[in-house]
Amino acid sequence: MAAAAELSLLEKCLGLSKGNKYSAQGERQIPVLQTNNGPSLTGLTTIAAHLVKQANKEYLLGSTAEEKAIVQQWLEYRVTQVDGHSSKNDIHTLLKDLNSYLEDKVYLTGYNFTLADILLYYGLHRFIVDLTVQEKEKYLNVSRWFCHIQHYPGIRQHLSSVVFIKNRLYTNSH
Amino acid sequence: MGFGDLKSPAGLQVLNDYLADKSYIEGYVPSQADVAVFEAVSGPPPADLCHALRWYNHIKSYEKDKASLPGVKKALGKYGPADVEDTTGSGATDSKDDDDIDLFGSDDEEESEEAKRLREERLAQYESKKAKKPALVAKSSILLDVKPWDDETDMVKLEECVRSIQADGLVWGSSKLVPVGYGIKKLQIQCVVEDDKVGTDMLEEQITAFEDYVQSMDVAAFNKI
Repeated sequence: MAAAAELSLLEKCLGLSKGNKYSAQGERQIPVLQTNNGPSLTGLTTIAAHLVKQANKEYLLGSTAEEKAIVQQWLEYRVTQVDGHSSKNDIHTLLKDLNSYLEDKVYLTGYNFTLADILLYYGLHRFIVDLTVQEKEKYLNVSRWFCHIQHYPGIRQHLSSVVFIKNRLYTNSH
Repeated sequence: MGFGDLKSPAGLQVLNDYLADKSYIEGYVPSQADVAVFEAVSGPPPADLCHALRWYNHIKSYEKDKASLPGVKKALGKYGPADVEDTTGSGATDSKDDDDIDLFGSDDEEESEEAKRLREERLAQYESKKAKKPALVAKSSILLDVKPWDDETDMVKLEECVRSIQADGLVWGSSKLVPVGYGIKKLQIQCVVEDDKVGTDMLEEQITAFEDYVQSMDVAAFNKI
């Protein structure tokens, strides 16, 4: 998904009505937002954080200092790890790590829904759609998290809903 | 429905399996369902039940605003996997208990009356729907081989005899003569029967009854339609 399209999705789920115009910069199509008063903002996570503040939903950036740090860490992970890799092997390593990370967590930060969940959901969507039933079961914790986020009101929008089978077929494979 | 005894390791195991692919007991937001189950669990589940523990800690974080979570609390047995029997003893299915003590008071009585009425209404609806739908008749298409005695048997007469067999639910179809050798031909004839009314035994009996013409007969093909 192009970064600009993703940012418009984020705008919508934050409830921002005014559509910002994004331009893309450089070979990797880094989004740039020109604000009315001040310098332009560069980079997906920077703009996303700016949008969250604009929507007065700062709790999405984390409420405690630790949570804020975790959100930042996952936003960075999203841009460097998820967007940086597209080969199948890389994705599987990534999903495996994420799977064990999410074992004892409902959201990335633990108990609270944050911007990190939204952006990682958008970032992973194109990979999760292509997973086979077995793979979805193998990454059970990721599947649970993903299914949870896609049902979070206002997040999924026009993206296709990924189907997760309720009854597990391979019960000992995780 | 239900998790069984949530204070026992077996019950917690069921809860753990149930929560493996779910974040909450019901739906995608914390609700009274979570509170109900949370209250039934005596303390944090052991660390090896990671899914139950994750859920427990998560619901614990909502402790303060427990009362404001959406949904209506139901009996514990109404939650959880459908294939586990409800052992929490919610009286409703236990008729013996009903006789002894009125567990639910008059309030529930009314509700069950309401439920009964609703059920009867649905039943009547279903019956009328069923009555309107034409009953499905099972039919079969049968291909019969009828063999004459010799090459001098009058095959036209033979076919006439076969076709003269009339029965409710029996329809004769096309036929042809197939040479079997030495100038002898057998009659191959198609028919459609309603399974409930006509059987191959009855057909065989009636066809072989024309013993002047028919030596034997076989069922060459039998297909359900």
